[in-house]
Amino acid sequence: MRLVQAEMLKLVRRRGTMIWCALLTIGCVVIADSVLLSLHAANAAKHGPAGGAENLKHLVFILGGLGNVAAILLGAAAGSQDVSAGVFRDLVVTGRPRRTLFNVRVPGALAVFLPLLGVAYGIAVGGAYAFSGSLPQPTAATVGHYAAYLVALTGIDIVLAIGLAAFASSRIVVGVLIAWNAIIAQLLIQIHSLGSARKYIDVAAAEHFLPAGIDTNAITMTTATALAVLVAWAAIFMAVGRFWTNRRDA
Amino acid sequence: METVIETRALTKKFGARAAVDGVDLHVPAGVAFGFLGPNGAGKTTMIRTLLGLTKPTSGEVSLLGLPQPAKRREALARVGAIVEEPRFHPHLTGRENLWIVAAARDRAAEARIPEALERVGLAQRADDRVKTYSLGMRQRLGIARCLLADPALLILDEPMNGLDPAGILEMRHLIRAFVDEGRTVFLSSHLLDEVEKTCDQIAIIDRGRVIVQGAVSEIAATGDPTVLLAVDDAEAAHRVLSSEARITQVEVEGKELRVTLSGDLSSAELNRALVTAGVAVSRLEPARATLEEKFLAITSRLEGNE
Repeated sequence: MRLVQAEMLKLVRRRGTMIWCALLTIGCVVIADSVLLSLHAANAAKHGPAGGAENLKHLVFILGGLGNVAAILLGAAAGSQDVSAGVFRDLVVTGRPRRTLFNVRVPGALAVFLPLLGVAYGIAVGGAYAFSGSLPQPTAATVGHYAAYLVALTGIDIVLAIGLAAFASSRIVVGVLIAWNAIIAQLLIQIHSLGSARKYIDVAAAEHFLPAGIDTNAITMTTATALAVLVAWAAIFMAVGRFWTNRRDA
Repeated sequence: METVIETRALTKKFGARAAVDGVDLHVPAGVAFGFLGPNGAGKTTMIRTLLGLTKPTSGEVSLLGLPQPAKRREALARVGAIVEEPRFHPHLTGRENLWIVAAARDRAAEARIPEALERVGLAQRADDRVKTYSLGMRQRLGIARCLLADPALLILDEPMNGLDPAGILEMRHLIRAFVDEGRTVFLSSHLLDEVEKTCDQIAIIDRGRVIVQGAVSEIAATGDPTVLLAVDDAEAAHRVLSSEARITQVEVEGKELRVTLSGDLSSAELNRALVTAGVAVSRLEPARATLEEKFLAITSRLEGNE
């Protein structure tokens, strides 16, 4: 537990990273809600209320995209900071197993990131109900689906970033994962000739948790499959990162 | 005497090059042990291998009587180490940096943080970010980090590097204080003078091999005795001494001579020979062999053998 707290301390004291993460999560929702409210206030006939189920959907996609970048930034920092600061060897000479020093990065990063995501999503959901006006409000099930989607999408990227950062610099990790999420995975999902193989893409598995009826390129799969795919991606990247952390000179 | 570090035929190779080559090292408990060698001799690689930061190619290591890596955790729980320069998270304060490492040790380590900061004189700056610290302060914070383990053995890699004279003196006092408390300090250095002033025992390493190890005084005292002479006529003195078979070397420096005697020629006999030959001797003193001279003699001998 103390090692997890230590990981959290190292992350929350990184002022620049934390400011960016807050902006990409809480900031984007606050800005988006403010714009919607301003437009509605300026011209209610042209611009509908800022809340409601439809606006929540838009906010969730914004939060999914930008929050994902925040998750990658934080995961890359968590995965690389001990080595880049030259402190990893000092942790190794305490006698703690390297696998433990590697493993604690995941709960540490999640414990820092999920509250930011939670606040951002809370604001989005609160706004969806408070400013719905005449628009239909989201159901509790919809709110739950969106929450599961956001946690799956961003949580998996934190783990992937930590695994990759064991053997690549944080800048490379950030670049590769943003490219994967924003471009490569989306392209692969749209190649229909890949058929059911597409369900093994982590982004597709995360999108499984979106509410039914949302217009995406969602691949049909069971919840168990989606969970298994996400767990498999996490396990593979953790295993590779752990292997490299054990093998490398500290 | 109990041995805190013991290696047998320890070897670490990088490709075909052996950075540590069949080292047998025995560091007794309760001393300051200097690990001396020129840059690139293999000191840091040896330390990294001792601590398990890099795997040895072959050989055995025992720390505090515990075989490595089998009993790694038990041994390292009582070892504090600075490897190369002390590094920290620059965005954290000194206290937070210590807490990070204390979290990886047992619970008692956390309670030692204030005492460790006080001990190295950083209590007043403990809540400043490390990026504002000077090199000397970082060295002291590194020592404080070592103290979190309440170490029986401290392994310090070039602890005097980058320190000003006051800092070096302070570090020397700290190291001696640790030894007085019954801890063992193993320090690597290329600063011969500092090792001689600080350490009780040394090992000299060159090109990955330990050439000699033992007490500083014994190593410095090995070889033929040398005396320094001040005379009224250096040329006459040189003629007299050159004819004496039991004198191995005579060097003239102005009116002074540096004379290396073979084992059975005493200073008194030397003096009598000069006076009998009509050379007035105004000063005669044994030259104190320094560790530096021994070190240079050993390493230059090795170079000559290449």
